[in-house]
Amino acid sequence: MSQTRKQQPSICPGPFGRRGFMQLGLAGFASLSLPGILRLRAAAPGPAAKKTAVIMVWLPGGLSHIDSYDPKPDAGSEYRGPFGTIPTKIPGLHFTELLPRQAAIADKFTLLRSMRQFAAGHPAGSMQLLSGDPDTRDKPQPSYPDWMSVANYLRAQEGPRENPLPAYVGVSPPTSYTGQAYLGDAYAPFVVNGDPNLPTFSVPNIGLTAESEVHRLDRRLALRQNLDRLDRAFDRHGELDAMDQFESQAMTLLTSPDTKIAFDLTKEDDQTRDRYGRNSWGQQLLLSRRLVEAGVDIVTSSLHGPLCGRVGNWDDHAVNHHVFDAMRFRAGAYDQAVTALIEDIYERGLDERVLVVVTGEFGRTPKISYSPSTGQGNASAPAGTTQPGRDHWPRAFSNIWAGGGIETGRVIGATDKRGEDVIERICGPDDFLATIYHHLGIDYNNTTIDDFSGRPTRIINGGSPIPELIG
Amino acid sequence: MSIPAKHPLLLRAASFVLVGLVVISQAEGVEPAEAARVASQPSVDFRNDVVPILTKAGCNSGACHAKAGGGQNGFQLSLLGYEPDEDFGHIVLEGRGRRLFPAAPEQSLLLLKATARVPHGGGVRITIGSPQYDVLRRWIELGMDHGDEGVRLVSVDVEPTQRVLELGSQQQLKSIARFSDGSIRDVTSLSLYESNSPEMVSVDDTGVVAVGDIPGKAAVMVRFQDKVAVFNAVIPLGQTLESVPRSQNFIDEGVFASLMELGLPPSPLCDDATFLRRASLDVIGRLPTTSESEAYYASASEVRRAELIGNLLNSPEYADYFANKWTTLLKNRRDDASDITSNFAFHSWVRDSLLENKPYDKWVRELLAATGTVIENPPVAWYKRVKQPTEQIEDVAQLFLGVRMQCAQCHHHPFERWSQDDYYGLVAFFSRIGRKPTGTPGEDLIFHQRGLAQAKNARSGEMLTPSALGDAISDIAPDDDPRLRLADWMSSSENRFFAKAVVNRYWKHFFKRGLIEPEDDIRDTNPPTNPKLLAALEQHFISSGFDLRDLVRVITLSNAYQLSAIPNEHNASDVQNYSHFYPKRMQAEVMLDAIDQVTGASTSFANLPAGTRAIALPDNSYNQSSPFLAVFGRPDNSSVCECERVQSSSLGQSLHMLNSAEIKAKLSVSGGRADRLSKDERSDAERVSEIYLAAFARQPDANELQASVAYVAEPRSDAAGKPLDAILAKRENYEDLIWALISTKEFLFNH
Repeated sequence: MSQTRKQQPSICPGPFGRRGFMQLGLAGFASLSLPGILRLRAAAPGPAAKKTAVIMVWLPGGLSHIDSYDPKPDAGSEYRGPFGTIPTKIPGLHFTELLPRQAAIADKFTLLRSMRQFAAGHPAGSMQLLSGDPDTRDKPQPSYPDWMSVANYLRAQEGPRENPLPAYVGVSPPTSYTGQAYLGDAYAPFVVNGDPNLPTFSVPNIGLTAESEVHRLDRRLALRQNLDRLDRAFDRHGELDAMDQFESQAMTLLTSPDTKIAFDLTKEDDQTRDRYGRNSWGQQLLLSRRLVEAGVDIVTSSLHGPLCGRVGNWDDHAVNHHVFDAMRFRAGAYDQAVTALIEDIYERGLDERVLVVVTGEFGRTPKISYSPSTGQGNASAPAGTTQPGRDHWPRAFSNIWAGGGIETGRVIGATDKRGEDVIERICGPDDFLATIYHHLGIDYNNTTIDDFSGRPTRIINGGSPIPELIG
Repeated sequence: MSIPAKHPLLLRAASFVLVGLVVISQAEGVEPAEAARVASQPSVDFRNDVVPILTKAGCNSGACHAKAGGGQNGFQLSLLGYEPDEDFGHIVLEGRGRRLFPAAPEQSLLLLKATARVPHGGGVRITIGSPQYDVLRRWIELGMDHGDEGVRLVSVDVEPTQRVLELGSQQQLKSIARFSDGSIRDVTSLSLYESNSPEMVSVDDTGVVAVGDIPGKAAVMVRFQDKVAVFNAVIPLGQTLESVPRSQNFIDEGVFASLMELGLPPSPLCDDATFLRRASLDVIGRLPTTSESEAYYASASEVRRAELIGNLLNSPEYADYFANKWTTLLKNRRDDASDITSNFAFHSWVRDSLLENKPYDKWVRELLAATGTVIENPPVAWYKRVKQPTEQIEDVAQLFLGVRMQCAQCHHHPFERWSQDDYYGLVAFFSRIGRKPTGTPGEDLIFHQRGLAQAKNARSGEMLTPSALGDAISDIAPDDDPRLRLADWMSSSENRFFAKAVVNRYWKHFFKRGLIEPEDDIRDTNPPTNPKLLAALEQHFISSGFDLRDLVRVITLSNAYQLSAIPNEHNASDVQNYSHFYPKRMQAEVMLDAIDQVTGASTSFANLPAGTRAIALPDNSYNQSSPFLAVFGRPDNSSVCECERVQSSSLGQSLHMLNSAEIKAKLSVSGGRADRLSKDERSDAERVSEIYLAAFARQPDANELQASVAYVAEPRSDAAGKPLDAILAKRENYEDLIWALISTKEFLFNH
């Protein structure tokens, strides 16, 4: 497979189709057998350096762009919110006062203020941004696979994975709004849930703790070896070999000290753990960094849960949260964790190989709305108390990008004086996806995957990498 | 990234390197007509000379300038040149005429781009000085004749149409176009080629077919403009067949005649244990219980295999298993907790229809023409799930007719004769469906809305009355529900699709591979591997009165179904002629039930009585609560395609079998098989035999018995190294043995 890493940006996007590719490797081993994959691999150039990787930090519910990266201090009080602005390392660039640490390292990432999509519901917005689905209506299941599953799938086609770690890990992954659609569950993330900050945190299926369990598994496998007598001669398509290979990968995952170490945050020194923040978000991002360092290709981590406030996400309608209390409540942990991740990526020399993107599915309404709270808790007044909120706003929002060999310290695009619409450099989901695919060396123009009806479907529908965000 | 894709749109997108090499074919027997025409004719015809060149060069493929794919950089052509009149406008008139430059044809943007003399995202598609280049250049030079007065393409023939080819051999195909003025042209170099089985035969851009090392039958589609022809290759192995199993019925005649023709010796019949397990898994979706196996072996009947089939078909579990198959394809999906009523009602309706063996045409009719509410008439639930008429006809066509119409919504179907008129003619059948909200939110009352059934062809704007895949339907009165007329058409004994689609689908259920594959992609260009057999099955099914139970019976009673899975020295490479049985991995639900049966555990599902088996689940919602079902690929009922069920292995599956709490709990459940056997009074040999009977419907052989008995007798110690007492050690050992057996390939596969 040719690398398209240095290819020119999008010129010839293919049909928005899907499934030719799938016949290659997925599921039925329909056309390319495992021996075929092995041959492909044998024909590929020698062992390359570790492959490019992406960490996506996901802010479920949608980050208020006005209260963070795109402040509008000159807008009216019904828009601007209570937060003051602060200068950043980049002259002329200001954030709100909630993000002092990121302001101080604004030269280490590039801010995109002009992201736009058209779906205002959480499912549709997430699906649109992460899979390129133009449908603006919410639906329970995605129609198209998200970029993470696509990348996982395409990497799998390159041949058997040598690294025992899975290619795609979700460290508290984004919600069910996204997914692998017609690629099937085999390309879903390896999911790590739970709070990695807890001393009891452990990852199931990684490094069995008890020696006796490992022995027992070995015993069982040895016993089975004597007993499995299915004649394998029928296996023209390598189906049985593939099962054996997955099982041996699973055994490595279960028993190898290396895989266990990749997930073991106690191997980090206290200073590093402190730097990310001794809370779930900080330790999630530290774990994400550890995993890409150990060779995982795709890591997603969703910053949700109690650190967000009462309802556990960034969906700051007035009924859920007092939006400003909520932003203040969570800003510290957020600012610290993201700052540490970005700095760490550079300090550890991962900045060429690993692209970091931080985003939610959309922004929040610039105009403040007021409604009675539905319940008391962190960042929310007692039920019935009218409090300010911001609603869904896909028309304009911000995300930040670091590593990936990109030139940092830049700002791309701009919104109008109230932060309502993009007035400069509109970027859409397909541009977002093309940027990520480009970093991963995926030929986003010509790659198609067949959907359930056999129709070859493109992995993006037009769009091209954002030039400032490609290395 | 090179993509070894099967889809011709992709192939062309990827094969531009070859395009430059295309020359007028010099193959043997080529009539000199083409060269003469090109050299001496005064004009070049847009439709018949120019468009085919653009098509062959891939310009109008989905990935490049086809409108259906977006059309790169504003230059849009009709997909594969199906609309030459529109293409003329795009090329000649658009772009302010700058795409062509008659005063200096070489400077036309069309040629500059195609030859990549100016930067072109698609690279070099046509080389300067090639015959293709000269045709394009001369067309521009001669004033860009539209050719609308000119001759029309009538048909394309491929020569030869059928041939017996040896393994490893090659065959040059010749593509011959016939025009309305009686002229004939060799268009081999301008035609597109596509194999329906690249594993068996590949075909290159110049029409050379190369046969691999697999015997059987394959087809190559040859396309020139909007006409297609099919070359059929028969690839014999060429062994002499000394004998084939006796014919039980017409299925055996069909399968064995084909094996004789191919010289492909079949494996012998399978033994009783294999048959018992195979038939139970395929007909009722579960393993035989130990007592069922014992009863089978105890029977002295000469026809005990036939008796077994009879018993299986009469069991309610037959209805459970096939209801699971059909409700999945009919999208019985729970998107909201409130869907539960319609999910349960719909599932019960399908299951009851199968249980009473309602004729297939009748229950399809009840589904298609459903009116009322879910509670009074459960098939209405399908209209709750599948709302748009376009989606309704796509599902009906793919599921019940085996025809994929999706492409034809927007453009002429690239491998088929289906046009947009065919598509919207079908949509018109569903144009009079009325909906009224009911007291239950989300549940509509479905009724026939009086009026003229028609649908608008989205491209031409023409209003079309119902027509069924090329068959005219006589006028439908405003009071008549057009859906009933569609059902009439489908169940007519003359119908070419309806019976074929379901017998092929059922054939695949039992044999792993359809006579047409994929099973729901029936088209002239994808011929069956055994047309006579397929026709006989259709005929049998229609004569039986669309009797599904009888269809299963006739298939499973055949000796073809009862062949061993173990290949002989000749037939291991056979993947489509049924010379031996093709093992299938158990599907998720069946596997979960099978594991429960062998371990003696049970899985509980929300809102369903204890003991409900996974195969009897009404909808997809249980996939979320059961990691097992999700990880082993139980579908989410979101597609009408069987391909939504993913049967491949994955890392998650291996982890689940090796280390999940679920599997551990099943092995060690109190009162489960390991627990019970550890306290059993019988000898270890007898206890081991019981597990074998439960898992494989057979007794262990001497080696298996010896290895198993030795294992369960081993002493064990706890984590601290302290020896375990005898019963605990035994229990742990039996858990290990059961784990080892349920994770063998022999267990996971139906073979």
